[in-house]
Amino acid sequence: MPTIALKDILINARQEAYRMRHFYLGAEHLFIAMLDIKGSIAGSILQEQGLKPEYVIDAIRRKVGKGSKNRLWAGIPNTPRAEVLLGIANDLALENGREEINERDLLIALLEEEDSIPIRVLKALSLPDMQILAEIARTYTLNRDSQRPYVKVDFGPEFERAETLSKDHLFILRRMFYGYAQIRVERQLTGGYTKATLLAVTPIDGDNRPHATVVVKIDDHDTILDEAQRYESYVKGLLPALTARLEDKPVAPETSDMAAIKYTLVSGYDQIPHDLRAIVKEWDAQKLGQWIKNELYPAFGRIWWQQNRPFRFQVWREYDWLLPPVLTLEYTKDKALPNNGHVLKFPVKRARLHELEYGDMVSVENFTVQRVYPERSAIQLAISQGTESIAAYKIEVRGVDLSKDTFYRGEVVDSIVGRVYKTRNEQLIHAMRALSPDFDTAGEKIASGNDLIEKLPNPIIAYEEMLDRYVNGSLSTIHGDLHLGNIMIGPNNSAFLIDFAHTRDGHTAFDWATLEVSLLSEVVMPAAGESWDDARTVLRYLIPFNGKQPLPNTHPKIATALETIQYVRDIAQECLASHESWAEYFTALALCSLRALTWGTMPIASRRLMFYVAALSMHELRTRFRPTSETDTPSPEETDITGRSTLL
Amino acid sequence: MDFNINIMIMSGVEDGTLLDYKTTRGDGETTIDKWTLSIGRRDENDLCLRNDTYVSRQHANLHWKNEAWWLEDCESTNGTFMSNPDNFFEDTPVKGIIPISEGQLFRVGRTWLRIQLVE
Repeated sequence: MPTIALKDILINARQEAYRMRHFYLGAEHLFIAMLDIKGSIAGSILQEQGLKPEYVIDAIRRKVGKGSKNRLWAGIPNTPRAEVLLGIANDLALENGREEINERDLLIALLEEEDSIPIRVLKALSLPDMQILAEIARTYTLNRDSQRPYVKVDFGPEFERAETLSKDHLFILRRMFYGYAQIRVERQLTGGYTKATLLAVTPIDGDNRPHATVVVKIDDHDTILDEAQRYESYVKGLLPALTARLEDKPVAPETSDMAAIKYTLVSGYDQIPHDLRAIVKEWDAQKLGQWIKNELYPAFGRIWWQQNRPFRFQVWREYDWLLPPVLTLEYTKDKALPNNGHVLKFPVKRARLHELEYGDMVSVENFTVQRVYPERSAIQLAISQGTESIAAYKIEVRGVDLSKDTFYRGEVVDSIVGRVYKTRNEQLIHAMRALSPDFDTAGEKIASGNDLIEKLPNPIIAYEEMLDRYVNGSLSTIHGDLHLGNIMIGPNNSAFLIDFAHTRDGHTAFDWATLEVSLLSEVVMPAAGESWDDARTVLRYLIPFNGKQPLPNTHPKIATALETIQYVRDIAQECLASHESWAEYFTALALCSLRALTWGTMPIASRRLMFYVAALSMHELRTRFRPTSETDTPSPEETDITGRSTLL
Repeated sequence: MDFNINIMIMSGVEDGTLLDYKTTRGDGETTIDKWTLSIGRRDENDLCLRNDTYVSRQHANLHWKNEAWWLEDCESTNGTFMSNPDNFFEDTPVKGIIPISEGQLFRVGRTWLRIQLVE
């Protein structure tokens, strides 16, 4: 492949400057222009460092921000720094006996100058040594993949052939284990409720010697690269000595939308790791519960869940992001908002959201772009609150022509106008309909089908008022997605965790409520059956279970399965801000189970149970575990994120 | 208290511009105990950022006092910020007057600046 000429880079760079409304040509536009060209040296080198070009482009755009619509000067002048860079590149070209600057010259100039915005971004994305990168750039030859030895992929006896891996998967695996003679894919781990693929893989070297089995996660590249960043900043150094670690950079090939990371289980030399979701079928309820309490909790508790700092929060700040988008809008580009249109901005008045109907025009103001979905021509906006994994009031905007309008993650959009296509309540009703309920789901109350509590709140209506409540709870570092698929069992039944994509400082009870939901789905509901009647049978057990009263003896299997949950509740109790005040736990449980209603990958039987778990938790919050009235007063910091709306 | 200072513009249309201030030339404002450099969009400022619409007319001050540098936000509309070592994408707002060291990046409106060289 010939080296890209400067004129091609400049064409791209000017377009980037226009799209970002900058109207000058700076180092950032030159660098983005290079990354944007398929097969560039810049893009290839970054990939070898575990960074995908699109990811870096987004990060640069986010740091710089879009310019204002008013132009203050004519033309597109070069910045003084761009002039300096082009001067250095020109010298490099002349040294090599060329008249024309090419991509390599400009890249070396950028890396050596070291002071420009794109290089500051690279440093922030943990690529510290630019001089080494410049050395690599000097001698870099493209298409090195074709010269690489072929890594043979074999499958272990436990790998089911039905789970064939796609070409992309195999390509990523070969790239990841480059240098080994062969890899053996031992088994596919069940994972969570997302589309990520988790594999236990044993690398084998040239002398036919197997190395320690590792866990590989393959997912879309934004998710993987975010997780790697999050691991660097929030998890590394905090983890106990024996736990899953990310030791290598992610693998993110340019030819695929996917990327992968590798978890090394520090002591796993002779045993293939299993996730807890596979183990639940082998272990009895007691053993499972004891393992959670005696292995998992102590292994991570001291550095994570036991931090137990007082934490008073309004429920929506921690939990709104779990629910479907509050609105889905159809983008109406360049249309002004009509007089009867609605404006949505922080602080959001939820009552106003209720008035919105299909076809209404809405202007969303000062929301942050959370995700860009090029394949669906859609973007997701939200109010973000510092940490990026938490974002309340998600709004999806469809029908965005991303070839004409640039949106990048982290961008604060002044205003975007669209027509209401779907509301959150419609999404919840739709999710409920998919479960073919055999009772009326339209009212504020639903029949519980038993005489212990005749009527329960309808969770798809009652969740609303919960979001505005204040909770006195406990704050600690949490895993953020503690379901059975992310908990691994290693040698000597030791506990490991994987998937740090949502690890953060957050509500401690969230982890345990997530685990309870996972156990209810994988252990408790299978002990009962699949129908709505079976879900109601479990409900009949959950009511006395919550109240610590004797359970009925009609279905001993359910009673046994609930023993596992009792261990989780014991841990949860230790993590409560105040040991007898369960309101914070049932708040977490109500919203975690409500979220599970919308998970297409969870069995229908389990989702039926989730509906009742949400309903019962909300009932408990209204009766048995009512938050004290003191917790209902608004705190003075309620509107503290209003003031920073005009800036990045 | 005679010295030269250089400030480099680190972003925007003037990215890479090196500005040079000399007390001997009468740059800035010298009082008994400090020397002050004003930053803003208006021409009267010592450091004028007329191309950044996010910069207020009188936006921030840089002080040399007690042998140290201090950055002051003059209640600007869009704020003055320091780079945040914990999160590259969330800059730390400057409230009142805070100490700042040579080589540290700070942002006035959308424009990043750096104190380069002090003699």
